[in-house]
Amino acid sequence: MAYLELQNVSKLFGAVAAVKDFNLAVEKGAFVSLLGPSGCGKTTTLRMIAGFEMPDAGALTLDGMDITSVPPNKRGTGMVFQAYALFPNMNVRDNVAFGLEVTGHPKQEIDERVREMLALVRLDDTAKRFPHQLSGGQQQRIALARALAIRPRVLLLDEPLSALDAVVRVALRGEIRRIQLELGITTVYVTHDQEEALSISDRVVVMNQGLIEQTGSPEEIYRQPQTRFVAAFIGTANQLNGVVVDRTQVRFGEILLRAPVPSGLNESSKAVVLVRPESIAIHAAAPTDAHNVLEGTIQTITFLGPITRVGVDVGGTRVVADMAASNRAAFTHTQHVWLSFPPDACQVMANQ
Amino acid sequence: MKQRPLVLQSLLVALFVAYMILPIIATYIFSIATKWDITLMPEGYTLEWYQTAFDHPYFSITLTNSFIVSIAAVLVGLLFIVPTTYWVHTRVPSAKPLLDLLMILPFGIPAVVLALALIRVYAFPPFARSPFLLISACVIFSMPFMYRPVSNSLMAIDVHTLTESALSLGANTLQILLRVIAPNILPGILSGSLLVFATVFAEFTLANLITGASFKTFPILLVEFTRRDGRIAAALSVISFTVAWLASIAILWGSGRGRKPTEEALGAR
Repeated sequence: MAYLELQNVSKLFGAVAAVKDFNLAVEKGAFVSLLGPSGCGKTTTLRMIAGFEMPDAGALTLDGMDITSVPPNKRGTGMVFQAYALFPNMNVRDNVAFGLEVTGHPKQEIDERVREMLALVRLDDTAKRFPHQLSGGQQQRIALARALAIRPRVLLLDEPLSALDAVVRVALRGEIRRIQLELGITTVYVTHDQEEALSISDRVVVMNQGLIEQTGSPEEIYRQPQTRFVAAFIGTANQLNGVVVDRTQVRFGEILLRAPVPSGLNESSKAVVLVRPESIAIHAAAPTDAHNVLEGTIQTITFLGPITRVGVDVGGTRVVADMAASNRAAFTHTQHVWLSFPPDACQVMANQ
Repeated sequence: MKQRPLVLQSLLVALFVAYMILPIIATYIFSIATKWDITLMPEGYTLEWYQTAFDHPYFSITLTNSFIVSIAAVLVGLLFIVPTTYWVHTRVPSAKPLLDLLMILPFGIPAVVLALALIRVYAFPPFARSPFLLISACVIFSMPFMYRPVSNSLMAIDVHTLTESALSLGANTLQILLRVIAPNILPGILSGSLLVFATVFAEFTLANLITGASFKTFPILLVEFTRRDGRIAAALSVISFTVAWLASIAILWGSGRGRKPTEEALGAR
């Protein structure tokens, strides 16, 4: 049995199911992210683990104990909120000490733990400051220290970086992962940012409309999306709608694309071919030795730092391709170009 | 051209201040005047009226009674209104419009109606015409003054998330209320307490009808004196103002003291 388990958990808000028949097993010490668009049920799931929402069906177990009906203040889960939620009337020291003080720990132990936690989040010198005297990133680190001070059995983070600037966000997510690995603490992390989820998790759970779309390692989620939703939500995937010709070919308009067709798809059934922009090469002249060549006109050229993303109109379908920023000068708007991509960069899925 | 609005503004402010302050100043002067009817300023000054007021056998009794009723009304308000408001804000936000409406009722029901209704309903001992009934009536009467500032303070902070974060750290409801919520809505609780204290301290109708002579309050004594001598009534009014101000200062000072030790203790560390 896994350390934290959710079995057939459902939650209704009125007639709307926020979470449907949710099953998840988290191993001790793992970092699991719940990823999905807003309203997909990821926060509701986290709140059920914390005990702030009662599931309408199903059971939750933590460390072999059924916690389904245990009140939130008896669960030993540390929670970090998007809005920091530091107590504004207390200074940093009292905030971090709060969880230990209300559960009656001796003062000496509290002082020691507070020092240890502030050192962990690298804010040793802020003990006497009040929350309003700290930056957003610092406040969130204190919130993390406060949640960790009670030595929780599970650390829960609800979009902890969403309110922060881009630079702070990237730095702090690295900090969170470092601390999580250092303490070996089981962590459930909720985010709508796919880059964030992929970069810090051991496992990612992609959710949509209250259901799990796919669970897997970040690589699996990125390389082998199991559903069109996951493919579209994670990264940017071109979706080429076509018809299966045989086990290695899909007809896209007038063109035969070479791609591995999975055994579940029969001939002449509708299919979608997924290709990531970074797998597509752009040519100013028709390539002679390439597979899967598409012809089109450049619509957009977007500079994205290390790469430049080119949007190409291929017979009414927009296809995006990435190229090294240094090749930018070779192309202009409305230029006629050829795109190519290898068969093994394609993933074929049924088109429901 | 630019000066004109400023002049107009200053004039308006001056008029407003005069409108508010002049009666108070007049009351103060009247309370130490020997005779002040046909002259612009009093003909002479004396502390005789204060002497008369202090010497009156009912002076200290009514003052004590008023303190008892006012402090009791504040305490009962703190004990019932604050947790109720918090509870409605966090657990049953859908009931908030209903509570808002209920809290307007005391303004809509005249004190006379409230007093007579309570006297008829609670006609049995130990409530009938007792100080308990008076205190209860005063709590109802002053409820909005406690509710409004507390409710506004609760809306100004993120009560929901603060409560949840305290819960996840293992705190129980009482600890959350006392250590997290109360300190953060302290300004609201304080102004609520002050308003309730001042309102109840100056309340006449309820006291006169419910307890009357059996449990005289300060305003009853004041009204009795207005029928005898306006100057003694003025002296009592001044005492009443002073009590209200002292009470305000005491509450503010008390709350400031409550917070200081933690800061000092932290400074030493």
